[in-house]
Amino acid sequence: MRNVKDTLQYILKRLLLMAFTFLVIFVICFTLIRLLPIDLSAGLGKDPETIKKQYVMMGRMRFVNGQYEWLPIIEQFFNFIKTLFVPPKDIETGHVLSRFGYSYQIAAGSTPDQLLFSRFPPTVLINIYSMIISVPIGLGLGTFMALRKNKWEDNFLSVLIMIFISVPSFVDAFLLQYFLGYQWHVFEPVVLPLADAGGSWFSPAMFNSMILPVLSMSLGSIAGYARYTRAELTEVLTSDFMLLARTKGLTRAQATVRHAFRNSLVPIFPMILGEVLSVLSGSIIIESIFTVNGVGGLLLQAINTRDVDVYQFVAMFYILIGLVGGLVVDISYGLVDPRIRMGGGKQ
Amino acid sequence: MNNEKDIYTEKSKIPASEFELVHNDENLHDTKFETRPVGWFEDSVRRFAKNKASVVGFILIAILTLFSVIVPIISPFNYYSKSEFPDGFRDVHYRDCAPKLFDNAGGFWDGTVQKSLGEVDYQVKVNTDANSPYVVGKPKVIEDVIGSKIYKTYVTRIDTYAVGTAVVEMYDDMFNDIQAYEASKNITFTLDNMHKSILKPLIDYKDYVDGELKTKLETAGAANVTNIIDQAKNFYEHNGSVYYKIFPTKKGNGYSDTQFEPVLDANNKVIDLYVKDASENLVFRSTEDRNVRVDYNAYFKFKYGKSVRYVFGANLEGRDLLTRLAEGGRFSLLLGIGITLINFIIGLIWGAISGYYGGTADLIMERVTDIISGIPTIIIMSLCSIQFTNNIALKSALGKSGIVVLAILIAFVYNGWVGVAGRTRMQFYRFKGQEYVLASRTLGAKDRRLIFKHILPNAAGTLVTSCVLMIPGVIFAESSLSYLGIIDFRGSGIVSIGALLDEGNQAGIKSYPYLLLFPSLVVSILMVSYNLFGNGLRDAFNTTLRGSED
Repeated sequence: MRNVKDTLQYILKRLLLMAFTFLVIFVICFTLIRLLPIDLSAGLGKDPETIKKQYVMMGRMRFVNGQYEWLPIIEQFFNFIKTLFVPPKDIETGHVLSRFGYSYQIAAGSTPDQLLFSRFPPTVLINIYSMIISVPIGLGLGTFMALRKNKWEDNFLSVLIMIFISVPSFVDAFLLQYFLGYQWHVFEPVVLPLADAGGSWFSPAMFNSMILPVLSMSLGSIAGYARYTRAELTEVLTSDFMLLARTKGLTRAQATVRHAFRNSLVPIFPMILGEVLSVLSGSIIIESIFTVNGVGGLLLQAINTRDVDVYQFVAMFYILIGLVGGLVVDISYGLVDPRIRMGGGKQ
Repeated sequence: MNNEKDIYTEKSKIPASEFELVHNDENLHDTKFETRPVGWFEDSVRRFAKNKASVVGFILIAILTLFSVIVPIISPFNYYSKSEFPDGFRDVHYRDCAPKLFDNAGGFWDGTVQKSLGEVDYQVKVNTDANSPYVVGKPKVIEDVIGSKIYKTYVTRIDTYAVGTAVVEMYDDMFNDIQAYEASKNITFTLDNMHKSILKPLIDYKDYVDGELKTKLETAGAANVTNIIDQAKNFYEHNGSVYYKIFPTKKGNGYSDTQFEPVLDANNKVIDLYVKDASENLVFRSTEDRNVRVDYNAYFKFKYGKSVRYVFGANLEGRDLLTRLAEGGRFSLLLGIGITLINFIIGLIWGAISGYYGGTADLIMERVTDIISGIPTIIIMSLCSIQFTNNIALKSALGKSGIVVLAILIAFVYNGWVGVAGRTRMQFYRFKGQEYVLASRTLGAKDRRLIFKHILPNAAGTLVTSCVLMIPGVIFAESSLSYLGIIDFRGSGIVSIGALLDEGNQAGIKSYPYLLLFPSLVVSILMVSYNLFGNGLRDAFNTTLRGSED
């Protein structure tokens, strides 16, 4: 039998393991990023001298014999950990400095966390819209196909779904953008900047301009959900308990909805849950095609402009989302289906 | 021992016809199989062939592979001299050329595109001394009335292959050849017959702009004379076919410094600016340098004996997209297969060890794969390419293309094998407890023998077929990362589908849609066919599914 204590213990164990994994990944990434050749003179609107002074205060450089030089990476690492708990202070002005460093290229002076938070709204909105569309349609289509298994509707939809799963999402995006956006002017071809859309993320103009990225993200997800639902549901529909349900007098619809559909949701629900979490991290390629000023775009910008602090922060954010997503999926499997004993041994 | 062996060899010599089924009873319950025995492989192939989708996938893959191998060999662009274009044909004059398969197909795949031109633009494009007409068919005129003025817009199809005239450097031989050719065909340029010849008279706009135009503007009291003069020169520079006097368009009370219109004489004709010598003859060739003004299409045809035709359009360097797609497809396919092979081998060894030994080794190895798969490829890729491009020693050792390939290899191999390792591990967990393994171990087989001789061959079918599905994954990852510019092929001489997508993206989907759509099409077909093929293969070789489809 499932019991609460075991479950909590399992979750705790997984959390600790995850924390360990994250820490190791962090050490690796920190080292790799600090090994990058950083060109301090390329700072935007800041003179290298100020940056170097800031670096000294943040424990990345030292000032010896009238020259700035990099500290060894291991020292930089311990200084970084220290500043996570006690933020560094500007010696001259007494201001508290950022724990995570500063952006020198994308938006000079702002901190990576501020930047990341400012990029959340479009990413989260587009992802949520896409989920609202794709989950019901995907599940609905999958159910429809399972009920019509091997009929022409099922075969036709299967081919479509296979195509939408295989064709890369950026191809959908190009086609939608070119035909619906530029050729036929049905929707806005690129997502508007906040200022052009009436200053609100929820204005009709903004919504209209978000339709194309949402559509191109949904197509693949719908196909994925539909295929999964169909596979699960066809399996459940042929099980013995469905026969029992019909024998005890349930109609086909009752049996399908109450018994088959619910059971087929067991592996699908964790999938959806995992996706809920990933609304925070944007699809880099879709955001780049539709010029969404979102989280994915921030990562790409940070890579292209070599804005190392932002890069490190956003990369670690993506890694964390990936790890937590995996954990949530694993744990929810056990919560949704009591038959799965989490962390169960051989017995 | 020797004796025993003799008996075996002795027995094996008995021909099959001597064997017959034993009759102990009157009734024979066992009968000899009349059908041919079907082995595992044969059965799998048969079930694969039954699955229509996967056969389609297989055929598509075969076609694409053939396409990528054959097209660069039989490309019509090989026709142009290899010594003149060592790294493939290109001609910047043809950078705007749209896909052209048919001649005059009314706008479908015939190298024309729809465009709206303003009144002034339209007049300039129509009034040229070039041979091929820029505007195809009759334009639709849209009139907008703003205030008291009527603005005309011409919506028309334009021929992207009508590149107009260009000034080229030419040696004496060529110049004389062309003149002789023109004389023999009776197409020499005259003011009445200007749209046939290859050679066009030189234009001298500098005198006009600095002299007449300037004076006129100053007398008209224009405010921005210097600017207009500069822009006018710029205009002549960029529109080689404009051989006549132009004047800035009126804009409010002053004159526009960006828009120019032809100056017309009393007969409503343009006034040419051709260079004339002392005896009032047209000058075709400058005495100071070797510059000659030619109708570029006619010149090209004379020089190479053949006009260009880009079936999938040309890129902004004037290279043929079709040939590049074939080259890109080849690179992407090779990359996909190569990386999958490497990942397969690493994953197999890793998964075998972790699955076979289990326990602590498994726990530690699982943590390592957790960590490795936790770092996304995009991050490793970007780190590698930044690090490598700044490493001068590495750059000089490997060259630009070597660096890119090395970065791709590292980024795709470092976590690509995790999936294979997981699958192998599962297979080992499945097989290692089975009786035949126990039997072999009892007979004294070593670990290595158990892993490679007993368990791995059993698991190989499932593993190999599931790996086919990794190939489209690699191709997809490569093309998205190249599209985003994180894999940077520029200047490396390597063409991949992703690099072509990036090129199309840089050119802009709005003006050059074909540069994005054709590579997208190829990558989509690649992905679809590999997925179909891989799924079919996996199902066919999965013996547990046997009979379930029938």
